[in-house]
Amino acid sequence: MIPLPAATLDTIFVSETPEGIALQLRPAGVMARSYACLIDALLRFVVIVAAMAVLSAMSRFGMGVFLIVVFALEWFYPVLFELMPGAATPGKRAVGLRVVMDSGLPITPAASLVRNLLRSIDFLPVGYALGLVMLLVRPDFKRLGDLAAGTLVVHGRSAHLDGPLPDAEPAPPARPLSTREQAAIVAWAGRAARLTPERLEELAALAGPITNGAAPGSHTARLAGVAQWLVGRR
Amino acid sequence: MTPLQFEADYAPLWAELDAALTHVEAGRKRWSVSLRKRPAQTAEPPDAARLAALYRAACEHLALARSRAYPVLLTSRLESLTERAHQLIYRRTDYGAARLAQLFLLDFPNAVRAHSRYVLVAGLVFGLPLVLLGLATYFDPGFILTMHDAQTVHSYEQMYGPGAHSIGRDRGADSDWMMFGFYIMNNISIAFKCFASGILLGVGSLFFLAYNGIVAGSLAGYLTARGHGETFYSFVVTHGAFELTAIVLSGAAGLRLGHALLAPGRRTRRAALELAARESAVLVYGVVAMLLIAAGLEAFWSSASWIAPAVKFAAGGVCWVLVIAYLVGQGRARTAAAGAARED
Repeated sequence: MIPLPAATLDTIFVSETPEGIALQLRPAGVMARSYACLIDALLRFVVIVAAMAVLSAMSRFGMGVFLIVVFALEWFYPVLFELMPGAATPGKRAVGLRVVMDSGLPITPAASLVRNLLRSIDFLPVGYALGLVMLLVRPDFKRLGDLAAGTLVVHGRSAHLDGPLPDAEPAPPARPLSTREQAAIVAWAGRAARLTPERLEELAALAGPITNGAAPGSHTARLAGVAQWLVGRR
Repeated sequence: MTPLQFEADYAPLWAELDAALTHVEAGRKRWSVSLRKRPAQTAEPPDAARLAALYRAACEHLALARSRAYPVLLTSRLESLTERAHQLIYRRTDYGAARLAQLFLLDFPNAVRAHSRYVLVAGLVFGLPLVLLGLATYFDPGFILTMHDAQTVHSYEQMYGPGAHSIGRDRGADSDWMMFGFYIMNNISIAFKCFASGILLGVGSLFFLAYNGIVAGSLAGYLTARGHGETFYSFVVTHGAFELTAIVLSGAAGLRLGHALLAPGRRTRRAALELAARESAVLVYGVVAMLLIAAGLEAFWSSASWIAPAVKFAAGGVCWVLVIAYLVGQGRARTAAAGAARED
């Protein structure tokens, strides 16, 4: 198997399923989670103000309900939303994050409770300072609550960098290619739509020995042909 | 086999898996976005065994595609398919009343007994200051001024003193509800902090336990010395059965976290912490339930001045016996039977 360079270079968190395939989770870093946290804080603030406006009309009974609302928002708002199908608070959803177990599975109630109760410790001494330090020093971006609960906050959807291969006349490579070389050429072709023609040509020119005899300026077409040949078009 | 041939051979399977997943996912989301228009349900609900077989096939294809370095577009398509299926197939579905019953009939009392050493330590850290400060302020009521300022002491004395309309505070008729809300917010927050701060090597839990013991003990000793004992104890005895026990249990859960970090045994610190958090979370569930009961009792029963103190003492005594019997005995027989069955 081709080793995934991402595993060492990137912050991708690999977890293996019982079927023996490696799920690649992409933990979310400080900025994404700060935005999510900010949106959630604003949302809760709005709800509290609205609850106050409505319930203050109901004297002391309203006050009691208001206190319960404040309590529930403080401790159970994240737990509730993390256990719903999206596994994310509205703030996280807006940023495209969700919470999963280390195994990539949906979060369990116990894990959600633990990670959100320990929020009060990550908050110490002020403004999530401890959580921030943890996020900055750990490659998997776990705060204390995530460590204890065994959870990860991951990006829900990743950008698709690779598209279909560009059309070209299939052409065999000038010499036999190793698996890694084949993978590199096919990956190059997959990114054709995202690169400028000049850059594409520049990269294709690096594979000169393979597109042997291509005229300057036609490396792209030749190498795309090799890519087509490699995926099986004859 | 070339990538194109591979795709041509197996694409129908992937499409079938995709359709089945879409079908199930739409069904799951229905209750949360019922206002939105539902996608037309064309296919029959997928057969679970077929879905599992398709999932395993897709996993196999993904492994092949990766090891043969097929185009990224192909592998990422398989990745997203297997990821979705993985989420669906391994999701837990055992929520509901049965799970809740199992939690409170079996798991919670079992967890308390499994953590008996932590419960003992937490009980001592809470109980010793309570007794010591209680005795200190009983024999020297002025000593309470080292813990509380004169204003607070005065207000406590008014609450529990003779002539108070309702005990524990000065209030009107509908403030039962207000105090219910207050007790929920205040007491459960304290219990949560007591648990969570255990991750600071247990120091936080020890602090919260001792601090609460000191406050409660000094107050009890002072009010007893001032002759308000009957009012005060008849107020606290019923909800105290749930509240004091719950604080001790949340402290025990916190100590478990701290102990896992200090002495992880043969696990890594991280694995020990994860295990401790998973097991002590069961305690926290129970603590929440007990504190909800306590808040209800405290707001609507303990403070009612029309109930004679003798009745409150009797009810409180029954509650203490029930709580302790529940924690010590509930589920023991069933657990032992299950253990014996496993050994056979």
